[in-house]
Amino acid sequence: MRTSINKAFPEKFLEKRREVYGENDPLFTVVGDLAMDRRYGDGAICFEKDRLTVFGDQYASQTKTVSYGELENVSVKRMYGNAYFAAKYRNGETEKLMRFTFFSANIADAAADFVNGVIADGFSDELLNAVENTYLEQRSFCPKCGRKLPSPDAECLNCTGKKKMFSKFAVYALPFKKSLLACMLLSMFTTAAALVPPYVTGYMVDTVLPGKDMRLLLTMIGVLLGVYVLQFAVTGFRAYLLRVTGDKIVTQIKKDIYAKAQYLPMSFYDKTSTGSVINRINSDAAAIQNFVLKISQEAVVQFFTMIGILVIMLCMNWRLTLFSLTPIPLVAMVGRAFGKNIKPRYLRIWRRNASISSLLADTIPGIRIVKAFSHEKESTGKFDAYCNDWLQEEKKISKVVSAFPAVMTFLVTCGSLIIWLSGGSYIIGGRGGITVGLLVSFISYASMFYTPVNFFANFNDTYQNTLASAEKILDILDAEPERDFTKDTPERIDGKIEFKNVNFSFDRSKKVLSNINLTIEPGDIVGIVGTTGSGKSTLINLLMRYYDEYDGEILIDGKNLKDIDIGYYRRQIGFVQQEPLMFRDTIFNNIAYGKPGAHVEEVFRAADIANAHGFITRLPDGYDTLLGERGIGLSGGEKQRLSIARAVMRNPAILIFDEATASVDSETEHLIQGAIENLIRGRTTLMIAHRLSTLRKANKIVVVDKGRIIECGTPEELMALKGKYYKLIQIQSMGEKVEAEKKAENFE
Amino acid sequence: MLRYIEGNEVKLTPNDGIFIDAEFYYTKEKFTALEPHRLFPKSGGNKYVTLLDADGNQVAIIRDTASLLPESRKTVEDALEEYYMIPRITRFIKMVDTFKIWMWTAETDHGILTFEVKNHISTVKPLYDGRVLITDTSDNRYEIPDYRKMDPRSVKMIETML
Ligand SMILES: Nc1ncnc2c1ncn2[C@@H]1O[C@H](COP(=O)(O)OP(=O)(O)O)[C@@H](O)[C@H]1O
Ligand SMILES: [Mg+2]
Repeated sequence: MRTSINKAFPEKFLEKRREVYGENDPLFTVVGDLAMDRRYGDGAICFEKDRLTVFGDQYASQTKTVSYGELENVSVKRMYGNAYFAAKYRNGETEKLMRFTFFSANIADAAADFVNGVIADGFSDELLNAVENTYLEQRSFCPKCGRKLPSPDAECLNCTGKKKMFSKFAVYALPFKKSLLACMLLSMFTTAAALVPPYVTGYMVDTVLPGKDMRLLLTMIGVLLGVYVLQFAVTGFRAYLLRVTGDKIVTQIKKDIYAKAQYLPMSFYDKTSTGSVINRINSDAAAIQNFVLKISQEAVVQFFTMIGILVIMLCMNWRLTLFSLTPIPLVAMVGRAFGKNIKPRYLRIWRRNASISSLLADTIPGIRIVKAFSHEKESTGKFDAYCNDWLQEEKKISKVVSAFPAVMTFLVTCGSLIIWLSGGSYIIGGRGGITVGLLVSFISYASMFYTPVNFFANFNDTYQNTLASAEKILDILDAEPERDFTKDTPERIDGKIEFKNVNFSFDRSKKVLSNINLTIEPGDIVGIVGTTGSGKSTLINLLMRYYDEYDGEILIDGKNLKDIDIGYYRRQIGFVQQEPLMFRDTIFNNIAYGKPGAHVEEVFRAADIANAHGFITRLPDGYDTLLGERGIGLSGGEKQRLSIARAVMRNPAILIFDEATASVDSETEHLIQGAIENLIRGRTTLMIAHRLSTLRKANKIVVVDKGRIIECGTPEELMALKGKYYKLIQIQSMGEKVEAEKKAENFE
Repeated sequence: MLRYIEGNEVKLTPNDGIFIDAEFYYTKEKFTALEPHRLFPKSGGNKYVTLLDADGNQVAIIRDTASLLPESRKTVEDALEEYYMIPRITRFIKMVDTFKIWMWTAETDHGILTFEVKNHISTVKPLYDGRVLITDTSDNRYEIPDYRKMDPRSVKMIETML
């Protein structure tokens, strides 16, 4: 059997462990990372079927073994940034066995569930499996570098490295290789053409003018004119071709990011602001395009220009060439220093930009709230502050970015002075076989030579800027999408749902669901009740597979949820949320969203079942009514009924209502309630509701409290239990009575 | 209604680690095993500390622990100290920034450690007063009290992330 351990066993206790276990391995081990005084340190607990052994410096002997028989229970207490594993003994004493940061918290939770399970019902393989699964989830490390992976079979970003980034973006250039190649050849042509005029100039100065040959002069002018015309015509055409190709590339990148964004898991969106995603699609894609073009075009062309000029210059006069190259090492050094300095600044700029976009994404759609609270001024102020932040950063970077080309140009100019000095003194001294014409054309070539040098020096700037953008884009393109689009697609889903030892936390600092065990039979109508924040919606989120990082198992018809094709599975579910989300589209399309390509009458039928057909027919534009963003233009109850119609369209095997009637008046509730009852016949239905009267059809009630299921059974059983459900019923029926009485009074 | 505690109307005594007992002088009420939590753990320090009972229901809010009697104050602050662990980073020793996951080695008031952070905006949050809050991939939190006051090498390292 595999040995389960969450990280390397602390070396300082290895000796002790050998004393206790010999060469054997314990069932599993939880290694902690804090000493009892909360300094970073070592600790570990080894678990067996009947006992646990703690290794830690708080004991004189460094170890203590506790048999489960002595224990009443064990628990993990999560605090802020740290947690401890505590034991409660049968004699009433408690003891903290080990401390750890959140690094070990999930695994410690699983261990505690295991021990408590053994104490309650004795050891079983099932308990052990639950622990093993948690280890498996944690165990996704890169075999090369040992770093944690986003998912068990993901590729390690650390080991693939930056080279991969180039090949990733090269993929976008590949489909256009023909036009890119054409552009390149064209520009090589123009470059070659540009090399002609200086040569002609030299020839004119040395031969044509001294020879006073009018005909030759006209011929030369004709040649120059021809070269110019050709050069500029080709340049124009190439610019057009390049632009179109560039646009195609950027479009493809944008499409890819957007497509990828659709498939990213919910946990990604919990942590990433919409603004930064929008920023990536809008501006970063353009930066990448720019870069692809620079690499595939300019860089190549400039490189050849440089070589071409170098060859010509060397042929003309190697001594002068060497003189004019003296500033190059300096240029290279300055360029490198600049690059190092600039990249972090670009990242900072990027972050400022993302904050601005986030604020926009927040406040512009939320403009109703902004106005309702008269927060226009505050909004503006905040935006101003963000912009100023950006400006500040931009100012800093501007200094460097502007100084750099100036310094470069200066160095380059020094180069031409050197040519004048050396070439001029040769001519004056009559040495070296240098003519005036040669010097003139040489200076022209030298100045042309510095253009590519300048380009490569500035290249760093573009490159660093792009790197910042590229990393952001890869954030999305490389993020692990929701997995398993290709797994099992069962014939049909009957709707049996089982939760087995499910534990879940959005982040490790707070546990949201603890040890959930629940079985729902096909056709069951299950009411889920509990106070707000108790974890009801989270339970549904897991069932919808919005989050995959839970411990334990969820089974659908006996199959692990994670083994079923996610797209297929979600199509079998009708999900109606508390806040129905509509898109900026017609009512018809909003309903048909549940089943693209649906027949018109199917949509009518769905609307009718959802009690929506009536109000739609009374709208002047009927099914053609165009809704605003997020469904502006309809009342809450109306939107809710549309979202029910949308769910009906799918003919789902499992229906889920998450407080579908929480935000509407009692009459609309009645209509919606009717709609729901039309719908649930024969389907597994989960209903979260605050008003218990909504649950009158339920044959099973689950009471959730603080992330645990505290009661579960038929309504009658729970009434007999006289627990929380009983209390809730009492409170609500009292409330309703009072309400009814008040109503009666008002009518009199 | 919210109940606030100020000054000497309550006597707080240690219970066990993060738990404390409370006795109100005027109403003669007694509570055991209350858990003090900061209402503003990131920004507010020991101002506005809530006392929760075993069910997580609030018993009262302490406006400022500084206003309590010395022993009571020590009781609460010790319990808070025990509950909250936000290591203060005093120095960065190493930042290995391989692609999008970084391994940082830092010296903190709890000792030296190496932790893993994602190169992502949500990882490092600079505040206006120079404080920097950091969350690692295990959701542990760290704080730099004022990054500008660190040694130049550390400043340089963290500045790239701000
Ligand atoms: N995306 C999220 N990230 C972090 N915590 C969350 C998230 N969604 C909900 N929570 C927390 O999880 C707990 C359960 O929430 P939820 O399941 O929505 O409760 P309810 O029973 O009212 O539906 C709450 O304490 C809430 O603060
Ligand atoms: Mg909810």
